Parts: sequence; structure tokens; C-alpha cells
Amino acid sequence: MKIIEQICVVFAICLAAEGISAILPFPFPASVLSMVLLFVLLATKVLHPDHIREKSEFLLDNMALFFVPACVSILKYKDALMQNLLPILLICIFTTPLVFLVTGHVVQLTMRLLQKKGGPRE
Amino acid sequence: MIQAMTTSPLLGIVLCIATFLLGRWVQIKTRSPLANPLLISTALCIAVLCLFQIPYEDFSKGGDIINMMLGPVTAVLALGIYNQYAVLKQYFLPVLLGCTAGSLTSIFSVLGLCHLFGVDDAVTAAMMPKSCTTPIAVSIAESHGGLAAIAAACVMIAGLTGSLCAPLFARWFRIQDPVAQGLATGACSHALGTIKAREMGELQGAMSSIAIGVCGLISVVITIFL
Repeated sequence: MKIIEQICVVFAICLAAEGISAILPFPFPASVLSMVLLFVLLATKVLHPDHIREKSEFLLDNMALFFVPACVSILKYKDALMQNLLPILLICIFTTPLVFLVTGHVVQLTMRLLQKKGGPRE
Repeated sequence: MIQAMTTSPLLGIVLCIATFLLGRWVQIKTRSPLANPLLISTALCIAVLCLFQIPYEDFSKGGDIINMMLGPVTAVLALGIYNQYAVLKQYFLPVLLGCTAGSLTSIFSVLGLCHLFGVDDAVTAAMMPKSCTTPIAVSIAESHGGLAAIAAACVMIAGLTGSLCAPLFARWFRIQDPVAQGLATGACSHALGTIKAREMGELQGAMSSIAIGVCGLISVVITIFL
């Protein structure tokens, strides 16, 4: 499918997600909703990966680019950042291995229990 | 003439893309995870704005246009999960339990430590989703009154930590199972960790990219109740 059509499909899904997000009774980010929506459309075969492939690959390959403006906006908030620089650094670095530890062991435990129950579906 | 150029939205767009390309070139040349294109691009943009005394508002005219693409970028993460659909179905229970445990650990350890250090609410809200991928983290932070820029910075710190140390963590914590290694890397360090997970093995890479989407989704659900 042509790129322009793919852009239209992806943007239309995002627009629909913005609408749904606005009427939901709890705060659910529209962008995450559009991810769920797109996944459901793919899983139910309404959309084929070919319908969005090139556009998606372009966005995913250059993903970091789209965050540059958000990061540059740190200029506006440098005071808030500087005041909390040390706790931010310490907390982010310390909690990362903690998440690794917990996730890793929960998965290993689950895998072991599944294997005892008659092996994983392989 | 200079003013015509700085007040055009094209300035922000050109600046972002040009510095990003330069950052990626440095990354390819040095092959170091510390040479992160987002980090380099952000630093160069800030340097150019300060050096030429371009007001932030002028930059953001173009910046906002690029920023608008964050929604679509998040949406197409679905394709990444869909590509791993077969593996996801096979390991559904470990993925679900692991990612739930990881997301809970990340959010509540950050909340607890922020409380301990007396970090203010706006910064705490920005740090809370730091293990999620940037587009999801930014959405979560903003819906809880956190600053997008600080959220993005925290995501990057968490990502770099995992990207540098994932194999080391696996050895320290005795995580030998490749499925567990991949999910743990993706749960703590999202897309930056996935790059490292792919180096560790194909299954690790696949599990790590599944963890990005699943942990993001679970984190959104958890934070609804906060």
C-alpha cells in the first residue's frame, strides 16, 4: 500500500483513539489506546501488517527523533530538574536493577511451575 | 533575514532532524550505548538555541509539529507486539505475571523513594513511569501532572542503565532462563534494553520487545488507580 494511505490509516486510528479517550470515565492516554486499537485490528485481521508496514517501520526506526522536542523543553523546567537532580539520578539508577530482579525471578518461577504441570506448549 | 528564519516552524524541524542524524552518525561510528542519538540531539539543540539566543518559543513552533507524531509512534508499537504474536501466545502466563510484577515494582519503588527523598509531586509524577517506553511514559506523566521533559530524561537514564548492565544483572541475580532475561530487560529498560537483549539472543530480543508494550499497558492500568 502507498505510504500516503498508510499515513492516513495510522492517523485515523490515533484520531479515533483521541475521541474514545475523551469519553472514557478514567484517564487513559489516547496514544496507548491507539496502540491497543491497532493491535486489536491486526489480531482480528481487519488490518494486514502490509497496510501499515512502511509507515510503521519509518516511525519505529526513527523513534528517538520524535522525542527531541520534548527533551529540549527541559530548558523551560531546568530549575525543577536541578533542584531534584541527585534524587532523580539515584532513584532511576537504583530501581532499574530492582525491576530486573523481580521480573526475572517471577518469570523463572512461573516457567518452572508450568513445566511441572506438564511442560510448556512447545 | 535571521529573524525570518528563526521565527519559521521549519527552524525547529530542521534543527531536530539534523542534530538527530548527527547523533545517529556518532552512534554508528563509536558503537557505544552512551552515544545515544536522543541525548546528543537534545544537547546540540539546546546548545544551538543558547548560542544563537533563539527563544524557546521559536523552536517549539517546529518542535510541536514533530511532537505531534508521538501519538502515531506509540500506535505502531502494536506492530512490534503483533510480529511476536506466536511467541506471546506461547509464553502468555510468564509474560503477564512477569510484566505485572515488574511494573508494580517500578512504580511503587519510585513512589516510595521519592517520598523518602522529599521529591515534589510534579517530579514524582514524571518519574513514576520511568521503566516504560518514552511515548507511554510521557502520556502517563502528563495525565498525572508530571513534566514530559523530566519523564523523558528519567526514561533515558533507566534505559541506559539497563542497556549497559543487562547481562551483568542477569549474572548477579541468577536469571539464566532466556525468556526471563528478555522480559526482565524489556521491563526495566524498554527499547534501549531491547537493543542489548537482541545481542544476548533472538528469544531474549523477542521477549524484550513484547515486554515494552505489555509493561506500558499494565503501567497505564496501574496508574489509573493512583
